[in-house]
Amino acid sequence: MTSTDVTTPALDLSHIDLHYGYVRALADIDFHVMPGEVVGLLGDNGAGKSTLLKVMSGAHRPSEGTIRVHGKEVSFHSPSDASEAGIQMVYQDLALVDAQDISTNLNIGREILRKGPLGWLGFVDTKAMRKRAESELDRLGVRTAPMTRPTEMLSGGQRQVVAVARSAIRVSGDANGVLLLDEPTAALGYEQTKLVEGLIRRMADQGIAIVIVTHNLPLCHEVADRVVILNRGRKVADVPMRGTDPDHIVGWITGARPSMFEDRAS
Amino acid sequence: MSTPVSDSASRGAPSSAAAADTVVPTGHDMPRGVAALVFLRDRGIFILWLLLILVFSFWCAPYFFTWSNAMLIANAAALTAIFAAGVGLGVMSGVLDLSLPGTAAFCACLTGWLAVNKGVSLWIAVPIALVCGALVGVVNGLISLQGFNPIIVTIGTLSVLTGLASVITGGLTIPGLDGLTFMGTRRYFGVPAPVYIVAALYLVGTIFLTRTRDGIRFMAVGGNAEAVRRSGIHSDRYKVMGFVISGICAAIGGLVATAITTEANPDASPAIIFSALTAVALAGVAMSGGRGSLPRVLVGALILATIANGLIIRGVQTYWATVITGVLLLASLGLERFIQKSVSDRLMATSNLSVHQKKV
Ligand SMILES: Nc1ncnc2c1ncn2[C@@H]1O[C@H](COP(=O)(O)OP(=O)(O)OP(=O)(O)O)[C@@H](O)[C@H]1O
Ligand SMILES: [Mg+2]
Repeated sequence: MTSTDVTTPALDLSHIDLHYGYVRALADIDFHVMPGEVVGLLGDNGAGKSTLLKVMSGAHRPSEGTIRVHGKEVSFHSPSDASEAGIQMVYQDLALVDAQDISTNLNIGREILRKGPLGWLGFVDTKAMRKRAESELDRLGVRTAPMTRPTEMLSGGQRQVVAVARSAIRVSGDANGVLLLDEPTAALGYEQTKLVEGLIRRMADQGIAIVIVTHNLPLCHEVADRVVILNRGRKVADVPMRGTDPDHIVGWITGARPSMFEDRAS
Repeated sequence: MSTPVSDSASRGAPSSAAAADTVVPTGHDMPRGVAALVFLRDRGIFILWLLLILVFSFWCAPYFFTWSNAMLIANAAALTAIFAAGVGLGVMSGVLDLSLPGTAAFCACLTGWLAVNKGVSLWIAVPIALVCGALVGVVNGLISLQGFNPIIVTIGTLSVLTGLASVITGGLTIPGLDGLTFMGTRRYFGVPAPVYIVAALYLVGTIFLTRTRDGIRFMAVGGNAEAVRRSGIHSDRYKVMGFVISGICAAIGGLVATAITTEANPDASPAIIFSALTAVALAGVAMSGGRGSLPRVLVGALILATIANGLIIRGVQTYWATVITGVLLLASLGLERFIQKSVSDRLMATSNLSVHQKKV
């Protein structure tokens, strides 16, 4: 696959604690994801999945614990710190600029300027940007509508694909990249879910580390190499996807099954 | 060519043939009806203006369709157009700046005071007014960034600036600004100076919005600041920029108004912001931001002037112009709603990768 060092986790969190006021949303969480690995993060509503993902993306600072990116300890003060370290997040609520077309949405923040004096004045090369967006979507295998279509004129599924692709493009090519997805298929029908599944697998094959939060167990079966299960802010299981009884997974999610890490509970 | 693909997809069962990767629309997969509706939405105001010109040309013949009358209309529209550019650009970036009349009065009075009372050259006093307009924008922007509602903030600064304008002039107008006629009543090649100013302003603004990186981001911030922020862009900078551009437009407007009358008046005229808003709304600029185009705003201002002009020629009382403008505005709202609904209906019916179609 890639020349990335596959013994060091792309992202490694240890002993993460996070409080929202008096609420302890995360308690002593250890979590890692290897390059090219897809980890499914499961748990019931309010288990702390989104919160943990936000810690990874720099949106929240943990009260306790350390974060390492490819072995190097980091401390994120904002999502842009994390994105500089190669970590991209797709949020639960889609963040597209409705009135703008697909190309603009994919290119914003990394526009191509025209050559020569016009470029110095900040003129953009619209054609080149469309071409690039088109080829990037082609490479991801998710071209769904013409680049000039405003995103408000896309179906919910197409929009979600564009939103996922926008983050995917930013990490793809960067073999050290980490992609965080919060419920990427929440609004999707069968075909779009398949589309996003394929996209996730292809990204992982490029060596990108992927964490995916979802309530969709079949999706997890399709794409995840490993699942980590949270229950009320604690990690209760960390098992390979293949070979694990789905009933056990459901048991850990609902809390019916005791934690794998009982001895560590404080 | 691509139409049959989307047609079959919308009719067909979710067969394996519809496996997403194979459906790659080639470009013009927009249903024809949608293209027409979008055209009407984006260009309707130009058609409306042409219709108005046509009607008045016959109804007010032979006085309406003449060069000199065209110049009258253009000149009458100029001031509204300048303020409409300020309001419009602000709204597109997501801020409604109500302080514009105050900024205009303040900047104009500052220039008048510097030129008349301090003997400062106009070549210095006029640029100072523009810088001042920009500074007012920065202040408005920085206050609004603290999380206060921009409308309330700018009502506050409107009041402060109007007061300050009177403080500068001692509550009186400053007459004798004859040096400004070059941008007021003077004509060049038969065209009044304010028309050139409007043309330049709209040209630069349109190029900025549609061709430059900052312009595109500016517009995107108006549409969804959070999305832009998540792309690693300091969206706050563009919000302040919206106020700054509005402020500069207001300063230009204040100067032109002063140049036309050759006296600086500290009384802000809030009425101007309403005619500017009317032009902006007529142009279909969404008040929620992120949507709109400057050429349409310009035509909006021209429509207001055209109606007033035509009715005056026919000797109809001018308040009828206000009534007609209001009706047009309301009708345009209805039309826009209709277009939006039809477009989404059509798209839903033909979308080849739609989640909606499964709800049927
Ligand atoms: N901003 C906040 N302030 C206070 N408490 C919060 C905040 N955000 C989340 N919480 C609490 O933290 C806990 C974990 O929330 P989180 O959003 O991470 O859950 P989740 O696993 O993503 O759930 P879901 O599946 O519903 O998205 C919940 O008890 C929630 O009420
Ligand atoms: Mg969540």
